Amino acid sequence: MSAPAPIAALSATDLRAGYGRGDDIVRGISLDQAPETILAVIGPNGSGKSSLVKTLAGLLDIRAGRVAVTGRDVTRETPAKRVAAGLAYVPQEANVFPNLTIGENLKLATEFLRGRAGVGPEQRERVLGLFPEIGARLKTRAGDLSGGQRQMLAFASALLANPEALLLDEPSAGLSPKIVGQTMEAIVRVRETGVTVLLVEQNVAAALDVADEAVVLVAGQVSLRASASDMKAADLGALFFAKVA
Amino acid sequence: MIAYLVTIAILVCVAALVGLALNLQWGQAGLVNFGVVGFVAIGAYAAALLTPQVGWLPAMIAAGALSAALSAGLALLSIRLEENYLAIVTLGFGEVVRLVILNEGWLTNGALGIPDIPRPFASLGESIGGDAVFIVFALGLLAIVFLALEGMARSPFGRALRAIRDDATVTSALGKNVFLLRVKAFAVGGAVMGVAGALHAYYLTYIDPSQFTPIVTAYAFMAVIAGGRGSNVGLLVGAGSIMALLEGTRFLKDVIPVIDGVQLSALRLGLIGAGIVLLLILRPQGLVPEPKRRAADVLPKAGGGR
Amino acid sequence: MAAQLFFNGLVTGLLIALPALALTIVFGVLKFANFAVGSMLTLGAYAAWVANVQLGLPLFGAAAIAALTVAGAGLLADQLAFERLRARGSITLLVASMGVSLVIENVCRFFFGNASRGFDVALSRPIRWEGIRINQEQITIAITVAVCLVLVDALLRFTPLGRAMRAVADNASLAAVRGVERRTIARLTWVLVGALLGLAGVLAGLDRAIDPLIGWNYQIPIFAAAILGGLGSPLGAVAGALVIGVAEEMSALVIPTNYRQVVSFSVILALLLFRANGLFGAKAARK
Repeated sequence: MSAPAPIAALSATDLRAGYGRGDDIVRGISLDQAPETILAVIGPNGSGKSSLVKTLAGLLDIRAGRVAVTGRDVTRETPAKRVAAGLAYVPQEANVFPNLTIGENLKLATEFLRGRAGVGPEQRERVLGLFPEIGARLKTRAGDLSGGQRQMLAFASALLANPEALLLDEPSAGLSPKIVGQTMEAIVRVRETGVTVLLVEQNVAAALDVADEAVVLVAGQVSLRASASDMKAADLGALFFAKVA
Repeated sequence: MIAYLVTIAILVCVAALVGLALNLQWGQAGLVNFGVVGFVAIGAYAAALLTPQVGWLPAMIAAGALSAALSAGLALLSIRLEENYLAIVTLGFGEVVRLVILNEGWLTNGALGIPDIPRPFASLGESIGGDAVFIVFALGLLAIVFLALEGMARSPFGRALRAIRDDATVTSALGKNVFLLRVKAFAVGGAVMGVAGALHAYYLTYIDPSQFTPIVTAYAFMAVIAGGRGSNVGLLVGAGSIMALLEGTRFLKDVIPVIDGVQLSALRLGLIGAGIVLLLILRPQGLVPEPKRRAADVLPKAGGGR
Repeated sequence: MAAQLFFNGLVTGLLIALPALALTIVFGVLKFANFAVGSMLTLGAYAAWVANVQLGLPLFGAAAIAALTVAGAGLLADQLAFERLRARGSITLLVASMGVSLVIENVCRFFFGNASRGFDVALSRPIRWEGIRINQEQITIAITVAVCLVLVDALLRFTPLGRAMRAVADNASLAAVRGVERRTIARLTWVLVGALLGLAGVLAGLDRAIDPLIGWNYQIPIFAAAILGGLGSPLGAVAGALVIGVAEEMSALVIPTNYRQVVSFSVILALLLFRANGLFGAKAARK
């Protein structure tokens, strides 16, 4: 694990969020993530993992707390502005536009990002270099892609924005074990290009294999943070189902 | 002045009946009905045509029954549809009813309408005063319907309807027949709209197609929104305040003399439209909010959450 | 006779195509059935009438004013009503659109009354071709609509705005995290839709007398066309409009013309019953 940098790539402070008039689902989460690391977020069903990334991406109303990307406060920004500030997000499963072609999906990923540095033809070359199978089929409807190809297109679309930090919501969902392996390899490649990755996963083993660090979320709060290797040794079952005060 | 207040009170009764019916369909069961006016018109014409033959009570029952039957029929065909589609089907039904009334002159006398509809208790009215008897009749009818619908709202049927509105998937998973419950809600609502139409016909003693425009539907929606979706008490408050507002605008003619009749009616209709939007924005829960009764109260195992 | 009716039906269908397209675009991008389509068309007809008859502008100038007026009205309705109710779901939005419809229709009635009006255009002799009578107005309608359809198609397929609109229609929250500002796209959608409805109003005013209910009379055929094409599908809406136009006109051969409007209603009902997804897909049944 790299030494802690002065400015966290991604930071959440006492974050609280929920749906409509309902109760808080994210209940006071604080996280700081060093640049160019992979942080796995794990926890039982309904612990608020997905809600946490949605909150960071701006899709869920923040009720209290603060979100910052490389030190820049984006708490009050729209989802679109957060992308422009360097925070990209790949949602779970429904993460490409099925009725647009691959080419259109890729074009759309950058054409509304006014003011984002490093977005352009070179970035496109680099990203398509990471996912060669995508660049070869620009005219294909995204809805016709297989699960693995769809996931690669989703990663590529997010990376075209040249993000500082990338939020991944259960990239393994709905994929066969072999494709899960390829997806995890892709995540490592992404990190090697200098991107910080926050990885929410149900598939704990796969996530801990690629992550540097991990946090366990229970009932909308962080119950444990440790290095990935320590986490592998921990009794996660007991942690997941422990009663929270 | 008294006569004027009596008129308003009777119009409020008619509007409240229509509103109560829509409140069952939309407020409690979550089913949009943009064809309200069609069911009111059917009730009015049924009452107008049958009363001279069979007397008011059988005619009124027939009006409710016919409206309920057509409502159930339309529901059987279309209640499975998602709300945007249900809205257009019911709107279309309302238009078809208008066309039939307009074009089947042998039955409905077309655009000329039907005059001299006998009122219930007409002979009693001659000795005491027609409108005095009629308002007692109208209020009595409203009270009966109100109590019946309130009882229904508190019954397992009413609870199941609200449970479906809040979460159809969970409710059907718990063994409720969502389809049948929705058809029933539509049928009962249709019956009440038919009875409201009959009351309308009896009060005016003359009906023609121009009385049954989509505005009737808009009034009903405004009453439900103003009253708070799901609350029958709120509905009465809502219907009352709308009539007061509408009738109040009649006086605008005296205040702003340049306005002519068409402009006045345009102003009132425009206000209804603006009122619908404003109330939706400002008072999402209506004047009298529905008591908090959620699916979880009805169906203990429906809880859970995200 | 049948050939003439078929031809008239195609023109009527083209006339319905623009509002049907407007309805389907709003449904696709903003996810609700806009019951104010008819009244927005009415507003377009009156705006053009004022420009043409009272200000003496030629018809194409009047059409531009109509498009701008209705685009402005759409923006205003979005800002004042629809945007504020967005989070409350499609039932609330469609009821609100009914309210907006009443407001627009009665603003027209307030200023122009219930009297019928017509544009100030030179009368011209109809052309005869293969035994079919073709009016000058019909030619105008056909050409205008054809040009509009080509432009809208190009806009949706080849421009960033069109891509963004299709992306929002596909998955609004994903579009947001790809940098597309939903609010901007919603506004631009209303400008496009308003312009289409304004032009449709002008064409409708060429076809029949302008009164406060001119748009309302098209309401059910417009919905029938859009549903036939699968709500949300632009291509489908145009195809649906042609089918509805021809079906309405040809129905004169078998049923009294008084009942013409029943044709559209029957098409909607039959379609929803037997093929709940329209000709081109889209879900009509609820969960």
